[in-house]
Amino acid sequence: MKRKGDGVAAFLFLLPLLFTLTIAFLYAFVRTVYFSFTDYNLFKITEFVGLRNYLSLFKEQFFVLGLIHSLVYAGIVTASQTFLALLLAIVANQKIRGLTFFRAAYYVPSIASSVAITTIFIWLVNRRGTVNWLLELLVQYWPLIVAALGITALAQALQVVWERRHGLPVRALDPVLLGISFLVGSVAAVILGRTGLIQPNSGVEVAIPWLTTRKTFLGIPLPLLSIMMLNIWTTTPTMMILFLAGLQDIPRELYEVADIDGASPWQKLRFVTVPALRPVMFLVITLGLIGTIQMFDQAAITAGIAPLESVITLAYYVYWAVFGAGTLPKVGMASAAALVLAALTLAVVLLQRKLGFSEKGWYS
Amino acid sequence: MRKFLVVFCLIAVAALGFAQETVTIRLAGYSADTPLMQDVLARFVNGVIPGVQVVWEPITEDYLAFVLRTLSAGTAPDILYIDLYWAKTVVETGLIQPLDDFIAASPIISREDLIPVLADAFTFDGKLYAISKDFNSLVVFYNKDMFDAMGVPYPNADDTWATFLDKIARVSNPPDWYGASINPDAARFLPFAFAAGMPFLKEDGTAPFDLPAAKMGADWYTAFNRAGIAATSADIGVGWSGAAFIAEKAAVCFEGGWLIPPIRNENPTLNFGATYLPSVWQGGPRGNYLFTVGYGMPVNPPSGRPDLVFKVIETLTSPEIQTYILESGHAIPSRQALLDSPFFQQQDPFALATKTVFEATGLPGTVPFSFGDVGGGNYMGAVNEALTLIMQGEATVEEAMNAAADNLDQKIGQ
Repeated sequence: MKRKGDGVAAFLFLLPLLFTLTIAFLYAFVRTVYFSFTDYNLFKITEFVGLRNYLSLFKEQFFVLGLIHSLVYAGIVTASQTFLALLLAIVANQKIRGLTFFRAAYYVPSIASSVAITTIFIWLVNRRGTVNWLLELLVQYWPLIVAALGITALAQALQVVWERRHGLPVRALDPVLLGISFLVGSVAAVILGRTGLIQPNSGVEVAIPWLTTRKTFLGIPLPLLSIMMLNIWTTTPTMMILFLAGLQDIPRELYEVADIDGASPWQKLRFVTVPALRPVMFLVITLGLIGTIQMFDQAAITAGIAPLESVITLAYYVYWAVFGAGTLPKVGMASAAALVLAALTLAVVLLQRKLGFSEKGWYS
Repeated sequence: MRKFLVVFCLIAVAALGFAQETVTIRLAGYSADTPLMQDVLARFVNGVIPGVQVVWEPITEDYLAFVLRTLSAGTAPDILYIDLYWAKTVVETGLIQPLDDFIAASPIISREDLIPVLADAFTFDGKLYAISKDFNSLVVFYNKDMFDAMGVPYPNADDTWATFLDKIARVSNPPDWYGASINPDAARFLPFAFAAGMPFLKEDGTAPFDLPAAKMGADWYTAFNRAGIAATSADIGVGWSGAAFIAEKAAVCFEGGWLIPPIRNENPTLNFGATYLPSVWQGGPRGNYLFTVGYGMPVNPPSGRPDLVFKVIETLTSPEIQTYILESGHAIPSRQALLDSPFFQQQDPFALATKTVFEATGLPGTVPFSFGDVGGGNYMGAVNEALTLIMQGEATVEEAMNAAADNLDQKIGQ
């Protein structure tokens, strides 16, 4: 029922938001567009240069690197975090003991400040940090670890065969038997280690410089890869919460019908859960792409340690061109780069919709 | 009613007059200076200079970004810190007020009162843009107990690159302590490269890092870490080399006077000494950096009273306040008159180290920590990366320094 004056009321309610949008977004956007056509250094507009900023951007090494890094980063991080978040959400949607604890524990990395997390991360991946220490333990003790796992498997096999011989229909991975097997395997490994029958690789030192390096892995700089791991770890939980909300909206009847049809767990996931989650999937992927393609904070913090060429992203290039070099700001170039970044973000999201990840649900 | 209005108007006028009497002057500086500056302002400025109330604004963001942003927006404070490191960039905006006219008119301060090298450092096109509040340069800090324990003579003013390297090798005793804590840090390395004969730029304006002198410097500077007799602060698990020294995990570090207050606070019984950076060969050249931060004012200070703003700057750099800052061990003063301060005659390690830093600044070969139009971020970024790769064994000195030269040339060329 539409009444006279509804439009005015709505407009009045929207006014505070429109006001901030106009000042903080529209005005800033128009200024940025204008600056991108000038040779501006924050202090004087020297001249109108037309498209020169845009053309010289693509000749500039740091911009091109930032562009490549941003795209690679967005692709890998969005794909990984969407997949992991879905997996985590399905696990967290089970009725298991201590569920609240797990949900909270998973979510902690997302609520902590990204600057604090990045700083802690830098300590973890230090040359003498925790990550390298754990790797060092792994490298040093792998003979014992392999021995422990092998003996565990052997003990399990023996127990299962024994129980079945005696007419008990135990599963191959029966948890109680597995617990006993693991205990046997661990004790045996400790004895083997103590008696010197199996020697750890002592003296091996792992000191991988994760951040202060120019090394690449599959063409991706190692520092950027480190940031990817960090970001997947911190964003996955947020996405998990979204999936969890989506999962709880799926009618139970669908699963019951699937059960009656004799669907396996995999088939239920493939044909019921994933299609029903499509609207959420669209949200998760869109948020993921926008967030990752505009990644700035982690690049800015690690750029203090890692080579600029290895971590620069488009968003960080914009900042670097203004404040990073210790010279007068190159606002014209930075504005042009910022607009390229905005256009790219829009293009990627539109492309994603074209490829079928739209907000339309399974029911439509 | 009329009576009431008259009284009201009188009160209003009086209030207005009172408000005009006190001028608020905004002073923005590094947030780390907050305790010292609040103390100094309360003791010597507010309530002492009539009609002036100085408000301290601690800045936590990148200070150069703050200066450029506020200058450009016209919201800069009345008094700014101007770091020599980026002074030229900021002065080039044309928005920093030259102080020469104020100094000429001042009965208290004249240019001759300032230490010449500091006044020269802040002079661009013949005009002085900032008055140094303090200064610093690099020295070798050494832990006497560690040298005694290993039976190695202390580093001294006669050390050359070779004898210094030898002493560090002999004093190194990992995992208890390393001979030195050395980081891939251009601000430490460049003085050595300059001493070896590397120019700031080649004559054609390109990067100098591929010159033999630069490679010789890089070879020596990274030799400690490559030989395992020095470790970076990150490898020791602390934030900077000074912290490794204070924690007694390194026998030696290259730092400036800023290391003295943290030693006093965190490890006051540390048995340490300080000496000059080693020279390239016996009696040969020696390099060093002059670090200094000054007070400057924007062209139109928001208080609208440049005369009062200068009055505050003059007071903050006065011998009285500088003596106070010197004795509190915070920094080394910039006034000529303080060179004979009785503080420098004391024999405790803190006063002796301060004196060494002070003397090191005056040695030939000391150059201002300044990067002109090239941009410190560009210049040092290229060097830091090369040093990191050499120290980690990812590149040879030759490869890394050639790459650094290409890197800087690309950045300058843009």
